Amino acid sequence: MAKLVLAAGVPHPPRLVYEMAQAPGKMRGEVLMKQVREQVEKAEPDLIIEFDSDHFVNFFYSNLPSFCIGMAEEAQGPQETWCPMPRYTVRGHVPLAKALFKYGLHDKFDLAAAHELRLDHSLVVPLHFLNPSMELPVVPIYTNGFASPLPLATRCFSLGRMVRRFIEAWDGKERVALIASGCFAMDVGGPLRGWTDREWEETISGLLLQGKYQALARRATEERINKAGNNSGELLNWITLTGAVGKTRPLFLENDDGSGYAVWKLE
Amino acid sequence: MSIYQVNKLLYLTDNDAAFRKRMKENPEEAIKAFSLSQEEHDALTSGAVGKLYQMGVHTFLLNHLSRYELFGVNRDNYLSRIREGMEYDPRFEQGQMPMQYFIKE
Repeated sequence: MAKLVLAAGVPHPPRLVYEMAQAPGKMRGEVLMKQVREQVEKAEPDLIIEFDSDHFVNFFYSNLPSFCIGMAEEAQGPQETWCPMPRYTVRGHVPLAKALFKYGLHDKFDLAAAHELRLDHSLVVPLHFLNPSMELPVVPIYTNGFASPLPLATRCFSLGRMVRRFIEAWDGKERVALIASGCFAMDVGGPLRGWTDREWEETISGLLLQGKYQALARRATEERINKAGNNSGELLNWITLTGAVGKTRPLFLENDDGSGYAVWKLE
Repeated sequence: MSIYQVNKLLYLTDNDAAFRKRMKENPEEAIKAFSLSQEEHDALTSGAVGKLYQMGVHTFLLNHLSRYELFGVNRDNYLSRIREGMEYDPRFEQGQMPMQYFIKE
């Protein structure tokens, strides 16, 4: 039986790696990312399952699943030429990904699967900080959090619960960490770029800190998400993660201009 | 015709190195491979970001016009262009485009 040992949520601004290197010790994101990393190291995971949304790099309107398990043996990224950070090869875990796919189908989640992946910054930036040298294998679970119509947040929450059941049923000894990649409220490339929906950000943080995860899932309608900016659907990855943490409240949760950094200790 | 074709050529600009090269060298020629309506073609080639936004181009993809400086769009004019045709909103005052750090190909 595998064990879920930790869950963490972080944002993935593509500029973070570069700007930290240019001006070390100046960014709040650097301190917070370090805080999360310390907890990941302490938890000593063997494997990461990462909840992520693509940005038209692995997926396009030609083929855009609501939920998709990454089953590649390995994949490279970030693929975007404009992304100022190192390129990595990330190892997958095919047996676990296949078993999760089947478990999900039998649990009435009509998932998609991808045996080849082009990783974008949203998948790789958190791993750059939390999976140094890409030592641990990573199984991505993609949720369409970027191109309307989005899946229901309540469905994402159920997906997270299913992933938790799967981990506990998986016939392996792995210590599993979950990572949710994404912001709470942000506009990228839209007319409100630079503005942050503080009210929504505070609502999200408040409900997360109180452990009111289902209430958050109910309130995170597509309408509310879109009101907070075109990139705010990444919250769905956090909501999926909360489905997996049960009643545990976060060890810490800090906000940083529309984004959150949080850790749940699960053992 | 559908806005899908505009989305697609912007997607390829970011994801297909050979197509990106064609877009940089001769964008008018490169987009001939796509079946755009006259309205889509004119909005694109005049860098009418606001019009394309109203027509339904996804903003992640629209942003590539500024990243790759196509059809006269760049980081400095992108926000004012996307807001063309919109009513003034005080939230605009907080907005600015972040720096772009290119990696040379």
